[in-house]
Parts: sequence; C-alpha cells; structure tokens
Amino acid sequence: MFRVDPLANPEPLIKRVYAYVAYRVGDGPDAEDITSETFERALRYKKSYDSRKGEPVAWLIGIARRCIEGRPATPELSSEYLEASDHRDLEDDALRRIALSGAVGRLEERDRELIALRYGADLTARQIAEVQGARTNAIEVALHRALGRLRATLEGEDDSSTPVRKSQAGR
Amino acid sequence: MRSWRTKRESRGLEAELRANRPEPSSELVHRLEARVREDGSHSRAGSFRVAFAGALAAGVLTALASVGGLGYAATGAGQAVEKAKRVVHQHGVTTVHKSAARDQYGKPKAKKKCRAGTKRVRGVCRKVKKAKGVSFRRPPFTG
Repeated sequence: MFRVDPLANPEPLIKRVYAYVAYRVGDGPDAEDITSETFERALRYKKSYDSRKGEPVAWLIGIARRCIEGRPATPELSSEYLEASDHRDLEDDALRRIALSGAVGRLEERDRELIALRYGADLTARQIAEVQGARTNAIEVALHRALGRLRATLEGEDDSSTPVRKSQAGR
Repeated sequence: MRSWRTKRESRGLEAELRANRPEPSSELVHRLEARVREDGSHSRAGSFRVAFAGALAAGVLTALASVGGLGYAATGAGQAVEKAKRVVHQHGVTTVHKSAARDQYGKPKAKKKCRAGTKRVRGVCRKVKKAKGVSFRRPPFTG
C-alpha cells in the first residue's frame, strides 16, 4: 500500500499554517518561528500521518495548535503594532489589515481560535469540528457569534478610531 | 430586513478576513519549501533503492522463467537437498529381514505348548481322554 506524502505540495500549506498562526499569536517573527517549528515536527512525524483521518492541512493545524499551546502566553497582539503604525504613512488597506488583525487579537481565545481556523487556515466548519472534537452545528454557531463580536470590536474602533489608538498607545 | 443586512455585513467581513489574511514572508516560504523538498529527496532516494532492488529481482526471475531456468534451478535445488540428506543421515546396522538363507535356516517359530493333560491335535490343544478300566503299565524288564 502506498503512503500519501502530506507535504507533497508545501507552499499552500505553509501559507495556510502561517495565516492560522498569525491570527492566533499575531503577524511577525513569533508566527514565523511557530510555523517553522510546525513544519519541522511535521517532517519528523510524517510517517504518522493517516490520510483517512483528514487532509494534510488539518493535520498540520493540529501540530501548529500544539506548538502554540507549548509556548508561553503572549500579551495582546496588536497594541504595540498599532502604536508603531500610527507614525507611519500607511495606505488604507494596510491600515485596515492592521485594524482587522488588532480586532482579532482582542477577541477571546476561543473566538480567535475559530477565526484563525476558518479564515486563516481556511478550514471548513466540518474540518474545524474534527480538529476540535465538536459538532459541526456547534462550530457554525460559535463562528457566527465570533464574527459578530469581531464586527462589534471593529465598529467600536471605527467610532472612536483615534482615541482608541491613543488610549492603546498610552497603555 | 435586519437579518439580511447582518448577513451581507457578515459576508463582507468574511471576505475581508480572507483577503487580509496574514501572509508569510517569501523568505520563510522558500526556506520551508527547501527544507521539505530536501527531506523528501532523502526519503525518495531510500525508497528508490528498495524499488530498484525489487525490480532487479523481478527481472531476473522473469528472465529465468522465460527460458525454463526456474524448473532447472528447482531440480538442482532438489538434488542438492537429496545429496545433503544422504550425507547427513546416520546409517545403522543393516538387517535383512527377508532372504533365501533366512527362509532355509532361519529359526523356526516356537509353537505354543499345550497344558498338561492336553495334546495338540491338528494344531489345537485338546484334552486327552483316558479309557475307563484300562491302565497302562510299563512291561516288566526281561533283560
């Protein structure tokens, strides 16, 4: 019987794992380190991959989750980043991206995890349910609520855009 | 109306989350890709060696089979086993159980003795009946 190589096409996998990790711990060197560690572990335990249990990306995300859990807790993601970005002349979309990742960073751990799995790793609700050992319906509902909270956070930022940033900078 | 708006907004946010997904630096992607490919080439080399050995063995067997070499080889192996058996087998004293000499001079089979008071008659032991009033006495010695 032929064994499936889970890392046969690594580039899209690297991007998805990185996006997931960055939504969890913030974009930057930490996310890069965790992504590298994830792939090192994946190479080491490649033989343990079972294609019947799920797709390679779900397997890698499982490894990435353990890598993140094994790390010391990081402080809120984006406050420093936003503070620094105020002084730069950034374009609108870049600002929006920063605001978005900042809002994701301010979500609760569970919401952030769901957003990272759905929009970072691009997993379906069913795949997320498999990764988390939950029911698909429950994941869909939780995702919907997480999106609502994210929207509220973003709207709160938009309403008092400058003061919020200033208050964050003052922290 | 409100739910429709919420749905639209939700879709907009989802699209935004996907579009603004954090991306790794190209340096990280290249580094990890190279690492994965390097590992893959090592394991591929190992599996290539195994596959090559297997293919070679299959080729030799096919070639032998096509010219009847398999039967020849099997016979040779069988003969070698026979020879080995003969060499290894321990020989004891050979006893000839059936021969013309044994038929003539062989020890006769011991017949079963009949009990006292019986007599073999046509191969069967039977009681000897004594005639009533008749006594047998040895005749007197007359010199």
